[in-house]
Amino acid sequence: MSDELRAQQEERLGRVWASPPGWRYWSAVNNTEVGRWYTATAFAFFLFAGVLALLVRAQLAVPENDLVPAGRYNQLFTLHGTAMMFLFAVPIFEAVAILLLPTMLAARDLPFPRLSAFGYWCFLIGGVFVCGSIFFNAAPDGGWFMYPPLTTNPKLTGIGADIWLLGLSFIEVASIAAAVELIVGVLKCRPPGMRINTMPLYCWYVLIVGGMILFAFPPLIAGDILFELQRLADWPFFDPARGGDPLLWQHLFWIFGHPEVYIVFLPSIALLAMMVPSFARRPIIGYSWIVLAAIGTGFLSFGLWVHHMFTTGLPAISLGFFSAASEAVAIPTGVQLFVFLATMLAGRMVMSVPMLFAAGSLAIFVCGGLTGVMVAIAPFDWQAHDSYFVVAHLHYTLGGGMLFPLFAGAYYYVPLVLGRPLSDRWGKRAFWLMFAGFNIAFLPMHFTGLRGMPRRVFTYPAGIGWDWLNLVSTCGAFLFAAGVLIFTIDLFIGVRRRAAAPANLWKSGTLEWVGPLPAPDYGIRSVPAVSSRYPLWDQPELPREVAEGRWYLPDAQEGKRETLVTSVLDAEPEQCLRVPGNSFLPMLCAVLIGASFIGTAFHYYWSSLAIGVAGILAIMVWLWRGTAVIPDADDKDIGRGLRLPLYVSGPRSVGWWAMFITMFGDMTAFASLVFGFFYFWTIHEVFPPRLADGSPMGPGLLWPAVAAVTLAASWGAMLWARERNAADSPLGLRLGLLAGMALGLASGGAMLWAPWQAGLDPVSHAYPATVWVLLGWAALHLLLGVLMQAYCLARSLASKLTRAYDIDIHNVVLYGHFATLTGAVTLAVTALFPLLS
Amino acid sequence: MVLRLRDRADLWTLLMPPTVWATHFLYCYVVAAVQCAKAGISLTAPEGGQAFAALGMVRPLVAAGTAVALLLIVIGARQAWRHTGGGFHDLPHDAATPEDRQRFLGYATLLLSALSFVSVIFIALPAFLIRDCR
Amino acid sequence: MVARLFWVMLVAGAVIWLAMMLLALHASRRRQAPWSDRSAARLILWGGAVTPTLILAALLVFGLGLMPTLRAPGDGLRIEVQGEQFWWRIRYTLPDGRSLTTANEVRLPRGQRSEFLLTAQDVIHSFWIPALGGKMDMIPGATNRLVLEPERTGQFRGVCAEFCGSSHALMAFSVEVMEPADFDAWVAAELAPAATPRGEGAALFMARGCGACHTVRGTAAAGRIGPELTHLAGRHSLGAGILPNDAATIDRFIREVNVIKPGARMPGFAMLPAAETAAIAAWLGSLR
Repeated sequence: MSDELRAQQEERLGRVWASPPGWRYWSAVNNTEVGRWYTATAFAFFLFAGVLALLVRAQLAVPENDLVPAGRYNQLFTLHGTAMMFLFAVPIFEAVAILLLPTMLAARDLPFPRLSAFGYWCFLIGGVFVCGSIFFNAAPDGGWFMYPPLTTNPKLTGIGADIWLLGLSFIEVASIAAAVELIVGVLKCRPPGMRINTMPLYCWYVLIVGGMILFAFPPLIAGDILFELQRLADWPFFDPARGGDPLLWQHLFWIFGHPEVYIVFLPSIALLAMMVPSFARRPIIGYSWIVLAAIGTGFLSFGLWVHHMFTTGLPAISLGFFSAASEAVAIPTGVQLFVFLATMLAGRMVMSVPMLFAAGSLAIFVCGGLTGVMVAIAPFDWQAHDSYFVVAHLHYTLGGGMLFPLFAGAYYYVPLVLGRPLSDRWGKRAFWLMFAGFNIAFLPMHFTGLRGMPRRVFTYPAGIGWDWLNLVSTCGAFLFAAGVLIFTIDLFIGVRRRAAAPANLWKSGTLEWVGPLPAPDYGIRSVPAVSSRYPLWDQPELPREVAEGRWYLPDAQEGKRETLVTSVLDAEPEQCLRVPGNSFLPMLCAVLIGASFIGTAFHYYWSSLAIGVAGILAIMVWLWRGTAVIPDADDKDIGRGLRLPLYVSGPRSVGWWAMFITMFGDMTAFASLVFGFFYFWTIHEVFPPRLADGSPMGPGLLWPAVAAVTLAASWGAMLWARERNAADSPLGLRLGLLAGMALGLASGGAMLWAPWQAGLDPVSHAYPATVWVLLGWAALHLLLGVLMQAYCLARSLASKLTRAYDIDIHNVVLYGHFATLTGAVTLAVTALFPLLS
Repeated sequence: MVLRLRDRADLWTLLMPPTVWATHFLYCYVVAAVQCAKAGISLTAPEGGQAFAALGMVRPLVAAGTAVALLLIVIGARQAWRHTGGGFHDLPHDAATPEDRQRFLGYATLLLSALSFVSVIFIALPAFLIRDCR
Repeated sequence: MVARLFWVMLVAGAVIWLAMMLLALHASRRRQAPWSDRSAARLILWGGAVTPTLILAALLVFGLGLMPTLRAPGDGLRIEVQGEQFWWRIRYTLPDGRSLTTANEVRLPRGQRSEFLLTAQDVIHSFWIPALGGKMDMIPGATNRLVLEPERTGQFRGVCAEFCGSSHALMAFSVEVMEPADFDAWVAAELAPAATPRGEGAALFMARGCGACHTVRGTAAAGRIGPELTHLAGRHSLGAGILPNDAATIDRFIREVNVIKPGARMPGFAMLPAAETAAIAAWLGSLR
C-alpha cells in the first residue's frame, strides 16, 4: 500500500468521523465526544455533591452549630446522597465505558451513537434540574431514600419530592439506554477473533453491570410511578389507612438500592483489573476467577436488599436469608482482591501513581468490606443501623471500592483520552492528601456511631462524647477536598502544559493502547484480528500493521461511518455496520422529553402532555431518518478480501439485541408492579377487599376476557404480518399491521374499561389502585405497540420496509411478544385472582 | 432452555448455577414471608409476645427446595466438568481457539457452581437456626 | 452478647486487614523472583475463596443463632411508645393491669425484660437507646416489638434513628434504669394526679387553651394532641430530650418552640405577655 493511498484513507476517515466546528459541535454523537462530555459532567456533579458534603461537615464540626438551619441541612444531605449516587457514581461508569469500551474493542464507535448522545443530554438536563433546585431552596429534603409517608405527605415535603422523583426517573431511563448500548457493544462489536475467553476483563464487568442495571433500575422506576401517583393523584399505595404500606416503597427502593452499590463498585474494580496486569507486566492470574467473581457478585447483590431493612420488624427468618446472602457476597468480592494480589505476586510490580491509588483503595476497601461483614449480622446491625457507623462503612466501601480506583483509572487513562499524562509529583501529593483526609474523616465516624450518634442529624448536643470526633471528621473532609482540588487543577490546567505522552506509555497489553495518543476522531486506524488476551504483548507486529491500515475497515470510501459487528461467542465477522452521524435530533428529543417531565413536576399536566407527544414524534423522526437505512449495496469488501453484508435483520442485527435487552428491563419493571400486587396480598387478611355484598372487589370477568381475546388476535395478526412480509406480500403485511393495530387498541381499551365499568376507585384503597396501575401499564404497552405498527406501515408504504429490508418488522414483533406477555399476565393477575379468594 | 444438557458451553450454561441460586433464594424468602405474614400472630401483633407463629411447613419446604437446587447445581457442574475436557489442564484457557473458549466457559461455570452451591447452603441455614416467626 | 460478638469481629477483622496489607506491601516491594503461576493460583483458591467461606460460615451460624435469643419475649412490663413529629407518647402497662401515660422519658426496672410496642402516628421513626440495645423502627400502620433487658442502673439517652423531618435531630428522650423497688415507687408517684392543680399558672394554662392539647391529670386539661405534662418537672429533660428541665427553659420553650424545634406542631406563644408565660412555666416547673 502506497503512502499516498494511506494518507488519502486517513484523510477520508478523519473527514467522516470529524465533529463539526462551531456551535454545531454540540450535534456530535461520536463516542469520543459524548464520552468526554459525559465524564466531565459526572465529575462536575461529583464536585458539586462534594461541596454539599463539606457544608454538612462544617455544620457538624461543633455541637449546637447554627451555620446551616435544619431545613437547609436536610436538603444538603439529601442532595449529597442523591447526586453522588445518581449523578456521579452510575453515570461515571457509563461515561467511562462509552469513552473506553470502543477503544478496547477496536471498534470505531458503539452501535447506537445517537442513543449515547440522547442519554447524555437526558443526564445533563435531569441532573441540572435536580441539583439546581437547591439554589431556590426547593431541593428534595426527605433523604436520598425518600421514605414515605414523610415524602408522600405534601404538607411535610414540598416540590422537592416531585423534583427528585421526576428528575431521577428521567435520568434512570437514560441509564437503562446506556446499559443496553454497552451490553450490545460488548456482545456484538468485538474485533474478529476476540472470543469470549479473550475479552479484556473490563468488558466482562461492563457486560455484567449492564445486566445488573437492567434488573435493578426498573424496580425503582416502578416505585417512582407508584410514588408519583400517590403524590399527584392520591392513589394510596403507601398509605396504611387505605390498605397501602410504606414498607412496599422500602422494598422497591432497596431492590434497586443494593445492587446499585455493586453497579458502582464493579466498574471501578474493572479499571483495576486492567491496570494491575499492566504494572505487574504479566497476564492476570485467575481470569476465570474474575469472571466468576463478577457474575457471582452480580447475582448475589440482588439478595441483599432487606439488610437495609433489618430494623423494620420483619420476621427474624426473613432477615436470616438476607443476612446469609450478605455474608455470601463477601466471597466473590474477596476473590477479586486476591486475584489482584496473586497477579502482583506473580509479576514484577512497577510502582506508579495509578498503583498508589490502587493500593490505597485496597486498604480502604478491605476495611469497608470487613465492617460490611459485621453489619450483615442482623444483631449487630440492630445496634449500628442508621448510626454513623454505617456512614463510615458505606463511605469506606464506596471510597475504597469506587472512588480511589476511579482516581487510579484517571491517572492511568487520562493520557489515552487527552494525549497528555497527569503530573506524577502532584498525583502523589493528591493521593496522600486524599488518603489521609479520607481516613481522618471517616475512621472516627465508626466510633461516633458506636457512641450512639444517629445519621442525618443537623445538630447534636455537647458533652455526650461526640464533639471532638466530629471535629476531627470535619478536618479530614477538608483535607480530602484539598486532594481532590489538586487533582482537578491538574486535570483541567496542569495537563495542558505537559508534553505529549508516547504511545502505550504504561507498556500495557490491551488494544486501547495500540495507536498514537490521543487517538484521532475515528479511533483505531484499522480493525485487527486478535488472538490473545494481551494482543500488544503477544502480537508484536500488531501496532505497526494497524497503523499502516493493513487490517479491516482501513478506509471510508463511501463517506459513511462504519464499524464491525461480530458474533457473540466467537467474534466471527457478521456485518459491516453503518452507524449514524452527527445530529441535533438526540438533543432535541432529550430537551422535549425532559421538559415534559419537568412540567409534570410543576403540575402543568396539559402542556407536559403536549410536549411529551412532540418528543415522541421527534423520536419517530430520528428513527425514520437514522435507523434501518437501506444501503446502496448489499455487501462490502472491508479489506483482506473479506466481504460482509451491510444490512442484516432479526437476531443477527444489533437493533434486535437492543430491543430484546430493553424488554428484559421492561419486564423487570412490570414484575415489580406484580410484586406490589402480591405484596399487598400477603399483608392483608382479606385481599382483594370485599364489596358490600361480600363478593371480592375486582374488574369482573367479561371485559378482561374481551381484552384477552383481542390481545391474542392482535398478536396473531402481527405474526401473520411478518410472515406475509417474508413471503414478499406488502399487501398482507399492511393488512396484518392494520388488523394488529385495531385489535391492539381494542384490547387496551377493554383493559381500561374493565375497572372503570366495575367502579373501582383508585383513591379508595390500594387494591383498586394496583389493579388500575397494572392494567394501565399493559394498555400503555399495547398503545406503544400500535404506534410501532403504524411506523412499520408507514415504512412499508414508503418502501423502506420490504422483504429484503425487514429490520423494523422483526423488532416490532419482538416487542409484540413481550407486550403480549405483559398483557396476558396482567389479565390473569387482575381478573383471575379475585376468583381464588 | 437453560437446564437442558448441552454439548456446547455458552453464556446460558454459564448463568445456570447462579440462576438456580437466585430462584432458590426467592423461593425461600417467599415461603417464609407468606407463612409468617399469613400466620396471623407475628412479631408485629401485640399479643404479649408469648405466642410467636410457628414456622409450620417452612422447614420441610425449604429443605426440599434446597435439595432440588443443590441437585441442579451439581448437574450443571457435571456438565461444566465435561466442557472443561474433564480436568483443569491447559489453564488459563487464553488461546483464541474454540477449544479454549469451551474450556474457559466450562471452568468458569464450575467455579460459579461452587459459589452457588455454598451460597444455597448459606441461604438455607436460617430456616434451621430460627425456630419461629418472631 | 452483641458486644462480645463485636469485639471478636473487630479483632478478626483487624487481623485480616493487616494480613492483606502485608501481602500487598510484600507484593509491591518484593525484589526476589516472582511467585510461580501455580502458587499464585493457589493463593486465590485458599486465601480468596476457601478461608473466607469458612470464616463467614462460622460467623453466620453464630449470628443467626443469636437472633431468636435477642427477640425472646419480655417478662412483664410492657411499654407502648408512639413516635410523633418530634416527640414520644409513652404508655406503661404494668403486670397488674394498671396503665400510666407519660411522654419523652422512659424508666425501666433493672434486670427485667421490658417489652416495647412501637408504633408511629405520622411518619416513620426509629426507637433507639444506644446504651441498652438495638433499635426498632416505628412505622405507621404497624406495631413492632422490641425487648430490652438493662443490666445496670443509670441515666441514658435515647434517640430517633430514622430521619423523620426537619427536627429529626431534636427528637431524643431521657432514659433511667432504676432498681425494681425504686421503679415501683416512681410508678406509684407517677400514677398520682398533679401535685399542685391550682394557682395562677394553672389558671392561665387553662385560659390560654393549653389544655386543648396537653393533659395534666388532676386538672381540667385533658388534651391528647401534645405530650402529657402531669409530672413534667420530675423528668430529666425538656422538649423530647433536648433541653435542661427548669422553669426558665420551659418559659422559653413556650414562647419560641417554633425556633427551637422547626416543624413542631405546637405554635410559639410569643404573643402572650411575658408575665403570663412565665407564670405558666413556673406552674409547670412545680409539677413533680
